[in-house]
Amino acid sequence: MEELILELKKKIINALNLEEMTPDDIDTDDALFGEGLGLDSIDALELIVLMEKDYGIKLANPAEGKAIFKSIRSIAEYVSNHRTK
Amino acid sequence: MGVTTAENYKALREGRSALTSYLSYSGRDEDNYVASRFTIEQQKQLMVEGLTWFESLVYSSVKNALLDCDIDVSSQRTLFVISTTKANIEHLQTSEYDTLEPAESANRIASVLGVVCQPLVVCNACISGVAALVTAQRLLESGGYDNAIVVGCDVISHFVVSGFQSLKALSPEPCRPFDIERLGLNLGEAAATMILSVNKPQTVSWKLVRGAIRNDGYHITSPSPKGDGCACAINYVTEGIALDTLSAVNVHGTATMYNDQMESKAIAASGLSAIPINTLKGYYGHTLGASGILETIITMHSVSHGELLATRGFSEIGVSGKVNISASPVSVSKHSFVKIISGFGGCNAAVYLEASSENKEDNEFREDCDYSVAHSVKITPYSIVVDGKQIEIDTSTDNILADIYKRHIGSYPKFYKMDRLSQLGFVASELLLNQEYPRLQQCADRAIVLFNHSSSVWVDCEYAKSIAIGDDYFPSPSLFVYTLPNIVCGEIAVRNGYHTETSFYIIPNKDENIMHEVLTSTFLDDSLQSILAGWIDYEDESHFEAELKLIIKSK
Repeated sequence: MEELILELKKKIINALNLEEMTPDDIDTDDALFGEGLGLDSIDALELIVLMEKDYGIKLANPAEGKAIFKSIRSIAEYVSNHRTK
Repeated sequence: MGVTTAENYKALREGRSALTSYLSYSGRDEDNYVASRFTIEQQKQLMVEGLTWFESLVYSSVKNALLDCDIDVSSQRTLFVISTTKANIEHLQTSEYDTLEPAESANRIASVLGVVCQPLVVCNACISGVAALVTAQRLLESGGYDNAIVVGCDVISHFVVSGFQSLKALSPEPCRPFDIERLGLNLGEAAATMILSVNKPQTVSWKLVRGAIRNDGYHITSPSPKGDGCACAINYVTEGIALDTLSAVNVHGTATMYNDQMESKAIAASGLSAIPINTLKGYYGHTLGASGILETIITMHSVSHGELLATRGFSEIGVSGKVNISASPVSVSKHSFVKIISGFGGCNAAVYLEASSENKEDNEFREDCDYSVAHSVKITPYSIVVDGKQIEIDTSTDNILADIYKRHIGSYPKFYKMDRLSQLGFVASELLLNQEYPRLQQCADRAIVLFNHSSSVWVDCEYAKSIAIGDDYFPSPSLFVYTLPNIVCGEIAVRNGYHTETSFYIIPNKDENIMHEVLTSTFLDDSLQSILAGWIDYEDESHFEAELKLIIKSK
């Protein structure tokens, strides 16, 4: 799990252009949206692309993403249970 | 649906919709979509030799509109304004694209039509059509032209369909505006032309009284939840008018969750809850650059016939702001209406039109406002000059804009999410506004009006890579958003909290006269005291230029 968490942090930094940030700057349990990392609706859509591209997970409805994209930990848990690649 | 207003109106009254299912461009079933498109037969009839499909549609629409009026297209006093979001984008990856870019395309259409005036392309995302009417109305009002041909058009392409799909904005079925079960929008293909004239024509009796463009200053894609910008635009155009004299409001009503909800709040906030509203998206889909003009024309025609068309697709109210919307046609007896529209980049626009009675006097002209330049900045790959002073630049770095950001600006991480055009606009506007003391924040009297030649070509090419058909087919939502060049205005508006007009124009070259003319007429919007204005073009890392000015109204 720790390995997946680090991998996700690196991928998210890259996909969302969080330049000037390192995996250490992202708390695994912090909120990604709103307060916390301050991601927005376009970032959420880009995360949906990342899930499909890198883990073979399809989220048709952005509303589904809300619970999954709560924190790095919630993403990691979802990915490890649902990944197809 | 038809080539004339009457034909279109007849089809709509019969309840016909042009929305149909289409197979995906990607070959994947999940990407099949519903849209309104011309049939292959219609395309064959409308194609003009030497012109692309987009250009042929624009040409045919203008040509048909001109049949009904007596104006001299070959006069310098006939303005030509084209509203489009993506013009010939389906030809992006062909070798001749440099001759098909919006500015070149506009020139070619003008020359086939025999129009001599330099065409002005309005590229303001979804509000482009109404923005083009506002621009034309102001340029006529300032006395430089007698007539204006205002045409809006966009065509369906893999580029645009995949982009809206990546934003999860498309409905898999015909759209249901304002409905509780709405699932998103459908795209549509159309061209529509309105001819504006300062001399009251014999045949037509409508007057475009006033228009406004207002930015939410909130987010580049999500509308302000309370509909602030939209409400401000409505309030400006209806100022001094008894609201109960309005026949109707024709809304944008795309059937996305956020747009319709936002519009309902704006309508309620503007005191228009009792006025009948409708949207035409259930018939045509969202026709992008054509939408504002097409829908204004149809609404004029229907109000003239004493009715407001039914909102097709609507059944049960699904918005929280109180609105008077109906799935059936409504009789109207009065003769004026408001058209509203909103789009990416946080922009909103409204126009107020009224049927002009026989005895009303001709249009009045208003004197243009002059302006003075308070501050200026110029950035090229080789130098930065702020208020005449050279600033040091490291030309050896891979990304000069990021270098300028790090050295002179900083603490705005969103910078790294922007495309190059927006990054250029951001650093240039920051250097410019840092000259101002105290620096204005959250203001409602400063517009952003920018011009360029290359539209959003750099990010267009980047996005196109993400939709190359193959195993790696993942259209990028964050790149697609920036393929609207007016997003740079939105970024600056969000950063500074500017809530007034944001406009983006594409012109064939950096023509100071055209820019001056547009800027002086922009000041006819009474709320403005200053404009962040200028040229901003980004082709690639060695070909870019920003020359921005902060101009202040002189009288």
